[in-house]
Amino acid sequence: MAAALNVPLTTSTTTVTTIPQMTKGEEKVDYLNLPCPIPYEEIHREALMSLKPELFEGMRFDFTKGLNQKFSLSHSVFMGPMEIPSQSSETIKIPAAHYEFGANFIDPKLMLFGRIMTDGRLNARVKCDLTENLSLKANSQLTNEPHMSHGMVSFDYKGKDYRTQFQLGNGALFGANYIQSVTPHLSFGGEVFWAGQHRKSGIGYAARYNTDKMVATGQVASTGLVALSYVQKVSEKVSLASDFMYNYMSKDVTASFGYDYILRQCRLRGKIDSNGCAAAFLEERLNMGLNFILSAELDHRKKDYKFGFGLTVGE
Amino acid sequence: MATALNVPPATTTTTLPQMKKEEEKVDYLNLPCPIPYEEIHREALMSLKPELFEGMRFDFTKGLNQKFSLSHSVFMGPMEIPSQSSETIKIPTAHYEFGANFIDPKLMLFGRILTDGRLNARVKGDLTENLSLKANAQLTNEPHMSHGMVSFDYKGKDYRTQFQLGNGALFGANYIQSVTPHLSFGGEVFWAGQHRKSGIGYAARYNTDKMVATGQVASTGLVALSYVQKVSEKVSLASDLMYNYMSKDVTASFGYDYILRQCRLRGKIDSNGCVAAFLEERLNMGLNFILSSELDHRKKDYKFGFGLTVGE
Repeated sequence: MAAALNVPLTTSTTTVTTIPQMTKGEEKVDYLNLPCPIPYEEIHREALMSLKPELFEGMRFDFTKGLNQKFSLSHSVFMGPMEIPSQSSETIKIPAAHYEFGANFIDPKLMLFGRIMTDGRLNARVKCDLTENLSLKANSQLTNEPHMSHGMVSFDYKGKDYRTQFQLGNGALFGANYIQSVTPHLSFGGEVFWAGQHRKSGIGYAARYNTDKMVATGQVASTGLVALSYVQKVSEKVSLASDFMYNYMSKDVTASFGYDYILRQCRLRGKIDSNGCAAAFLEERLNMGLNFILSAELDHRKKDYKFGFGLTVGE
Repeated sequence: MATALNVPPATTTTTLPQMKKEEEKVDYLNLPCPIPYEEIHREALMSLKPELFEGMRFDFTKGLNQKFSLSHSVFMGPMEIPSQSSETIKIPTAHYEFGANFIDPKLMLFGRILTDGRLNARVKGDLTENLSLKANAQLTNEPHMSHGMVSFDYKGKDYRTQFQLGNGALFGANYIQSVTPHLSFGGEVFWAGQHRKSGIGYAARYNTDKMVATGQVASTGLVALSYVQKVSEKVSLASDLMYNYMSKDVTASFGYDYILRQCRLRGKIDSNGCVAAFLEERLNMGLNFILSSELDHRKKDYKFGFGLTVGE
């Protein structure tokens, strides 16, 4: 709820000597006009985009064809070594190949995504604006294997300076979260969830502080997760990001540091981890609608090296 | 040996068609020197068998002076390990190779050492104008897996002969002779003392400006035929047939080789259901980007790799 603090704008006198006071007055926060915050699940968005590109191993080819303004089809082929779980500590890979067909319908009020793969997995997403402030999102993943399919529905309400979300999933999964702007730069939020199938419940808190040049977020959850991230936009083309994850139940710590160069013809993201993992991801625009991708991940601790290249055709 | 056939040229212009016809007569005393016996399939090999790899490769060559250069080569990626089942199993590996090259018109020395303990050395020296010595050694950590070979090559006017000695009592000799300006025949014998095997083989090669056709038969059961056609300055097509009449194994492959200004693209398809392509692109002077892919549809094994080569 917005605090009932009214700050009348000072009318400036005609003399130049009160100009410092006028700017000081405008810096006072107008608590009735705070911006709407980022949705709760996207609170780490900038850090995730910079630090977690879609690394892969082998070859990837994506082809997207738009049939009209709103509807497009996509074909995606992947071939390469896939890791299989093994008893020994060594990493074992077997060459695998699959093809994924997808269809997208994009409308201002309704978005539908469907994907199906040759190994029998179906992925469907729906995003629909029921009214101006209330939207519905649904997500389902169906597989051949029994008991491995799941689906989730969520209702999002966007208020003036707050957002709230209520989620329902299969296996008696309930969740709710709420995030509120407290100043033009700072927002706080919290969430609760209950998973009936696993008899687990949890509560979590998050905070996000962002200006034009930086974003700092923090999140704590009763499942043991503590996540902090900081992204600094050094210039138009360069931004640096760092991330810290700590699980106080399993005493697992990971710190990572990365960079994100967005240049005219390419986008290069690189990161290094406290687990001894260095990764880089390059997307180069060869032509209008033709992108060439190079992906590399070197895990020095597990001695696992993954390299891949790919081509993306279509908008 | 050259036959003693002399053809005097004609002198008047009315006999111009006849003069051409007479110049087409082969001057058997002036045949060109043939290709060395082991390089008889050279064009087909260069087009059809590029160095395909899987993973990432980075090569850096630094020239210290005109004749001496060092090379550093890093390779990381999944390597296939032999497994009992029919499935292909790969384990990520990485190695680094250091090499030194000394290149002189009369003497060439190459040395390479890998982090897994393998050493590879090659020497090529011209003892006289016609006689040259080549030596080759591969040493490893594992016992009984190292081997070395020495060969003496004599280059005559229109023939070449070679004598080879290797460890494990390996002896070999081969001889190749030009019979016309386009055709050459050759033969080889070898004796491997350690395996108690001996063999004899024959080869023939016919080449013009635009095509090369070769054939080879050996008593080990190998029959190899190849044909390379240079379609234009930039494009050449090659095909290859290998047949082993002992084990009844047949492989036919067909490939293309595009040599363009900025890149070289080689592709091939096999009768074993294997499709491969290899692209080398010159990004800059001394900077080459390599893409390699091999899809074996029969064994369902897919290998993709990229690499960067720095230095001349």
